[in-house]
Order: sequence, then structure tokens, then C-alpha cells
Amino acid sequence: MERGKNSFSGGRRYRKDDITVYWKPEACVHASYCYRELIEVFDPGRRPWVDLNGASTERIIEVVNMCPTEALSWKWNDEGKNKEVSADQTNHVLFRRPELLKETEPPWQENPVSVKIMKDGPIVIKGDFTFNYSGNKKEMKQGIISLCRCGASNQMPFCDGMHRKIGFEDE
Amino acid sequence: MERKNDENSTAIVEVIDNGPLKITGQIVLKDLKKDITDTVTEVYLCRCGRSCNKPYCDDSHRN
Repeated sequence: MERGKNSFSGGRRYRKDDITVYWKPEACVHASYCYRELIEVFDPGRRPWVDLNGASTERIIEVVNMCPTEALSWKWNDEGKNKEVSADQTNHVLFRRPELLKETEPPWQENPVSVKIMKDGPIVIKGDFTFNYSGNKKEMKQGIISLCRCGASNQMPFCDGMHRKIGFEDE
Repeated sequence: MERKNDENSTAIVEVIDNGPLKITGQIVLKDLKKDITDTVTEVYLCRCGRSCNKPYCDDSHRN
């Protein structure tokens, strides 16, 4: 059952152009190969903690294959290639979690939401989305909101221009 | 969480009290200063101004 684009039964999926990596948190025994080998991709201090843009596909596969449990597994997005994986690809889903071979992503929606990080300024969000804040829930249709990113607004969570007064800067 | 068909699935922007901004769904994220455009499905953005990994949250708000 789908529960959201990044979630699936028992964990999360992370996808780049050619591979999908699956994470099953309850299977993790904290052997820590993933982040000791490849902190650029697997960073427990970051959210989301997996960023598949941090290294080459070959290197990500190599490190996922080091995971001693089924906590991390991977597959090719090209279904044909999943049929001819060799046994040394220890953490391919074929060997770790064969039920995921059939798992596919829901189709990409027509109108993605635009999130702009303004230079030394707020987060500006445009499009159709549900906005939850301070116990409120608003359905936005082609809406636009500007949210504080400097921490100094007097109109939280909205931007009120304070970033200029305090000289907020991105690194 | 109940989920209907895909026509009804929509992005969710959630302000986490004393925490980051969580956005899930189909998102095009643009960072104008770093000149990065990325398509993502889940992101946590810093709201406190203290993250060392801006625009992303790195849990600095807890310190």
C-alpha cells in the first residue's frame, strides 16, 4: 500500500535517475558502514538523511552492499536490469527484499509545488498544497506564502521582512 | 493515514512547532543563492536561521 511518495510499507525509498535505495529503519543494527564510508550520501544528522545526489551510482551501490542487514537495499529503475544482477550485489532487493521488485512509484503529478529559497530571505511556496501551521489547516489553490527562514519574524511562521534588519545571510 | 487515489494526492507544507518546515509531495525546490534546482518528494527546511546546512534543517534549533 502506498502511503506517500517517499514512504512504503516498512520504510522509505530514495530515488535518483537510475537506482532506488530502500531504507527499513527497524532492520538497522547501526553497524555504521553507510555513513563511515559515504557521509555525503548517508548522513544521520541531516533530513532527509539519504541524499543520492552525493555520490556516483557505482559508489552508492558499493556502500549499500556493505550493509549487513536488510536495512539498506537497492534496485535499478530499469526493470530489465534487475533480472540480471550478479550474486556479489549482496544488497540488491532480489537477495534482501524480493517483495520490493514489484514496488513502483506513483506517477508524477502534473503540477509540482514550487519552493523557492530566496537569497538571504524567506521560503516562498506557490501552487496547490495543504498548509498546516499552529493547529490551522488550509487548502491552498494556486496559493502563495512566504515563510520566515531567519528565525526573527514577529509574524511566525510568516516572513515580515525582519531578515533585512538582522542582516540574515546564507552561508 | 488514509490515502485516496492519486488525483487527490497533494503536497503538504507543515510548520513543525519549534522545528523545521516539512514539505512532502511533488516539489521543485530552487535555491536562488546557490543556483540549485532540484525535484524532491520530501524536504525539511530550516526556520530558525541557525542551520549549518541551509536551506536544510540540521537540528541546530534544539541547541
